[in-house]
Amino acid sequence: MDRLLPLIQNETLKIWKKKRFYVVILVLLVLIPIFTYAQMKISENNAKNFKDWRNQLVQQINDMQNALSSDRIPEEWKRFRRIAVQQLQYYLDQNVNPNSPDGVTFTREFMSNSVTLFYPLLVLAIASDLVSGERSTGTIKMLLTRPVRRWKILFSKLVALTLYVSLIVIASGILCYLISGAFFGYGGWNMPIFTGFLINGATVDSTYVHAVPQWLYMLMQSGLIWFSSMTVAVLALMVSVLVRSTAASIVTMMAAVIAGTILSSMSSSWESAKYVFAVNLQLTDYLQGSPPPIEGMTLTFSLITLALWAVGALIVSFRVFTKQDILN
Amino acid sequence: MRSNPSGGLWKAVSITALLSTLLLLFGFGYSVKDMLWPQQGTYVGEDLSAKPPERSKLGQSKEILITAIGDSLTKGTGDATGEGYVKQLIPLLKEKFNIPVRLNNNLALNGMRADQLANNLGKEKGIRYSLSQANLIVFTIGGNDLFQIATGQSASEATGELNMEKLKKELPVGLARLERVIKELNEINPNAQIVYVGMYNPFYDLKGLREGSLEVQKWNQQAYEMIYNYPNMTMVPTFDLFEKSTERYLSSDHFHPNNEGYAQIAARIVQSLE
Repeated sequence: MDRLLPLIQNETLKIWKKKRFYVVILVLLVLIPIFTYAQMKISENNAKNFKDWRNQLVQQINDMQNALSSDRIPEEWKRFRRIAVQQLQYYLDQNVNPNSPDGVTFTREFMSNSVTLFYPLLVLAIASDLVSGERSTGTIKMLLTRPVRRWKILFSKLVALTLYVSLIVIASGILCYLISGAFFGYGGWNMPIFTGFLINGATVDSTYVHAVPQWLYMLMQSGLIWFSSMTVAVLALMVSVLVRSTAASIVTMMAAVIAGTILSSMSSSWESAKYVFAVNLQLTDYLQGSPPPIEGMTLTFSLITLALWAVGALIVSFRVFTKQDILN
Repeated sequence: MRSNPSGGLWKAVSITALLSTLLLLFGFGYSVKDMLWPQQGTYVGEDLSAKPPERSKLGQSKEILITAIGDSLTKGTGDATGEGYVKQLIPLLKEKFNIPVRLNNNLALNGMRADQLANNLGKEKGIRYSLSQANLIVFTIGGNDLFQIATGQSASEATGELNMEKLKKELPVGLARLERVIKELNEINPNAQIVYVGMYNPFYDLKGLREGSLEVQKWNQQAYEMIYNYPNMTMVPTFDLFEKSTERYLSSDHFHPNNEGYAQIAARIVQSLE
């Protein structure tokens, strides 16, 4: 009887020894200070021009309203702005700073902005060569000649991958907090964040808006990021089963993810694009109350779409992996 | 399982990762619950209010803090440099009073009418906040009420819609709106110096529209009667600037001043302040 746990342990350690996780940490360590520095410059500029954040916010709202009155601006863009104006107005009316300059707020925004491109990239660093890597080194033969059912091997890889996805999300949050906190201070855990904005066309219904302390909001947001990242991870696992070379596997997945972000910024007229998984990755938008890229998309829709893609990918991965002949 | 040197590493990685996964799953579940079955909550925060400035002469205060409000004239539409009269006030005031001058906010909106402004002053907390901080408030309003034209349009379109009958009819309506604006402003900040920039007829040099100047003058006259009631308010005339010198002071849309025109308005505002 071959037990699963040793297999999972084996796979987890293999990923660790391949130093992929170090790469992820290294990328974070390089990028976070860059963004922190950029944010610091913005804050400095605002501090110079405005007496306090309320003046800055009221000016921001005014600038957006002026832009809205221009006929030259496309209607689609106006819809986003109108909603943003109403939300900023809500924060202002409650006397809550939506862009408070502290480490926790910076981390929250960094994570939310990273969900469509940066997290998929980090996940791919680990997921892309899970199977294809074994092929290129030839170790796949040793792995499959062991008296272990094939599905168990792939399953253990999947579990290891899940563990690393969780580690990436948590580690990125912690690193970002530690680094940005050094510049902006480590406070902000209890700041209220509003969630529950309902969007009807171009108006925001604030009936169900409620305040959530920022630490809880971070947890909620991280959970959504994890779900998005897991979908990407599972799809990457499938690609890595199907494609022989790791490079091809990374390129395929990156192409899909990038196509998704481009689509979501321009697909308002092509409605079926909402069934593409990469268009649905920005789950944090629903929490924030930003309008979805395509009208009619809801949290439930996105969760189901992502889940279907993931389940489909799992079915394909397991079928192919258990049936496929290993030649070469 | 054989014991190996990686045992410790495995334990550390797996336990950390497992805990992370559980935490994230909880976060995921909580946010889905929170979004699909939202609960109405009431957030009671601090009220948005600023300490009003002390009532003192502008020249004797520590710092001049300007909040500008109104229509496209205050926004600076037509000025290719984007300064408008508001930004040009700053160096002039600095020079005159020798104290720091700061633009708190310029909250003017293109196309704003006096009724919209009065409504905003009544309900927009952010605008009220910014106004109550200031010790100098400058505003323009009424142009869109009288001429009923959207800003940024070309002169031909604008004049096409304008007729004298309509202008005469709009006058009392617009003045009633202006009165609301003035009352709101006084209520929000009774201590600040408030300057109203009077109206001018941009079509003085156009045939058939020259008599619009008479209506504009009526507006200015009655606006002054309202402002006269408040000792901290001043009205600055501008009508004379745009009669002979339209070429020099009006921008290419033949409605808004250009940079030089705004410079003249700014100079007049500064002259009126003490």
